[in-house]
Amino acid sequence: MKLPNSLKTDRVTRYKWIAIIIVLIALIVLPLCIESNYIKHLLIMACIGAILGMTFSLLFSSGLITLGAAAFYAVGAYSSTVLVMNAGLSFWAALPLTLVFTAILALGFGAVFVRNAGVAFVIITLIFAQVVVLAAAQADFLGGWGGIMGIPRPNPVGTVNFAAKTDYYYLILAMLLLVVLIYNALYSSRIGRAWRAIKLSPKLAGTLGINEYRYRLLAFVIGSTTAALAGCFYAHYSQNITPGAFGGWLSIYVQLYAVLGGLEFYILGPAIGAVVMTFVPEYLRIVKEWEPIITGVILLVVILFFPGGILGTLKNPPALSLNKFHSLYNRLVTGKKRDSNS
Amino acid sequence: MPLLQVRNITKVFGALIALRDVSFEVNRSEILGLIGPNGAGKSTLFNVISGFHHPDKGKILFKDTQITGLRVDRIAGMGIGRIFQEPTLFMQETVFENVFSGLHRHYREPAWKAFLHTRAANREEAASKKKAAEILEFMDLAAMRDELAANLPHGHQRSLAIAIALACEPELLLLDEPVTGMNPSETAVMSDKIRQIRERGITVLIVEHDMRAVMSLCDRIIVLNLGEKLVEGTPDRIKNDQRVIEAYLGKQVI
Repeated sequence: MKLPNSLKTDRVTRYKWIAIIIVLIALIVLPLCIESNYIKHLLIMACIGAILGMTFSLLFSSGLITLGAAAFYAVGAYSSTVLVMNAGLSFWAALPLTLVFTAILALGFGAVFVRNAGVAFVIITLIFAQVVVLAAAQADFLGGWGGIMGIPRPNPVGTVNFAAKTDYYYLILAMLLLVVLIYNALYSSRIGRAWRAIKLSPKLAGTLGINEYRYRLLAFVIGSTTAALAGCFYAHYSQNITPGAFGGWLSIYVQLYAVLGGLEFYILGPAIGAVVMTFVPEYLRIVKEWEPIITGVILLVVILFFPGGILGTLKNPPALSLNKFHSLYNRLVTGKKRDSNS
Repeated sequence: MPLLQVRNITKVFGALIALRDVSFEVNRSEILGLIGPNGAGKSTLFNVISGFHHPDKGKILFKDTQITGLRVDRIAGMGIGRIFQEPTLFMQETVFENVFSGLHRHYREPAWKAFLHTRAANREEAASKKKAAEILEFMDLAAMRDELAANLPHGHQRSLAIAIALACEPELLLLDEPVTGMNPSETAVMSDKIRQIRERGITVLIVEHDMRAVMSLCDRIIVLNLGEKLVEGTPDRIKNDQRVIEAYLGKQVI
């Protein structure tokens, strides 16, 4: 599943497919083995976090660093809520409308934003996310700072009404897998290669006929629309949304998912980062008020001493003791045993 | 009809006139050398042709079409490839991946079909992998296809830069100091490659400091000095031109 660039498609070996199938089965069986609704809740939030983390990585794959992942997440959550609660649409009609609406909005804003790569883009997205939150708080029809309560769960499909956490987990898992499939198809095509070329050297990419602006805009629109998808499913899951839930911390967390998992692993990195960041702080709750501090310290240590993130560290272990992990990793994930391009 | 026409190009940076009213033509299938002392404006001229700088005055026509002021990727798309003076590669990618990424302009199937991995798009991918392998073979890089670009020695990085540019299928190739920093035997091999590139029907414009290489390689040479065209002619004429010798050595020496 980890395909930072297209050329690695060739490295998809038998081992890798076996690993993918095992993980899939585990993800499907998991909620059946868990009784605690709270852990199911964390699983759902981890899936939403993973999708958001992947949108960060998608932009990163084209050389853009966003600190505003929460912006279009909020746009998605609020639009879908308004379409369902005020316009009386079914969730399943509101979802595609929300995605189209967000895509158009992202195209408009992105057309201006992606003209500035580098630090300027980081600052712009950071400010934009804050402006979205403040705008939502000022809008009376969006409930102001109090937000909107009583958002219904998605309309039933057949006999499944998504009231139970297990059902919702399957729904969000399906969305996550859809995003993984789409992103993988992008990364393994020449679109993903063009993004990578722009990220590694915009100058060289230009002389190869790659339109830097257009490809970055494409990444921005796809990433933003995906964030809106996550926002839809978040709103109808938590059933109430407030502007505070989309504040600056969320965008920073989303970025940390990708960094912690491994920045070079555009799909698996954010997924693992989101799971770790969702579950570890929860189990640190024993020390209650110290939890954010301990989480923060752990993150600083990871970023300072393991810049490759969890997956990057497994791939290129710093110490000899991890060498066994290394070869195991190579067999399972990159399949390096075989010749890569023949 | 000349392939490239440079007409009265002037480029000013602040108070510095980098190029003043420079005009010349590049004919199809020739190797044209561009020489001159440091600061003569050679690299600026390359940047103007390939779209990194926009000229303050003058026009550039490629195949009788105006390309002045176009974006870098548009100019590349029209068939002008270039390499840079400093090593400019996708350093964290393998040699093969570098050339494969360079084939961006090679695809005819639309991008959404590439995204859906349709059969036609997959066939095209396979064909472009084959093409990348051919280019590596041509540039004598096939043996190190899985090496990271950053780990290559200088000479091979030069070859790789040219290989990436060739992947664009250019009609005109701009080479900025292709043999500078190479030993005589490496220079001979590279000169030979450049001749072979010309035999493939690609017109070559070279900026180079290595006089011996330039003289043996080029059909014609243009000398720039202090942003102005000094002389233009065959290597033999340039070698014996008093103005060129003065420009390089300074008057007091003579």
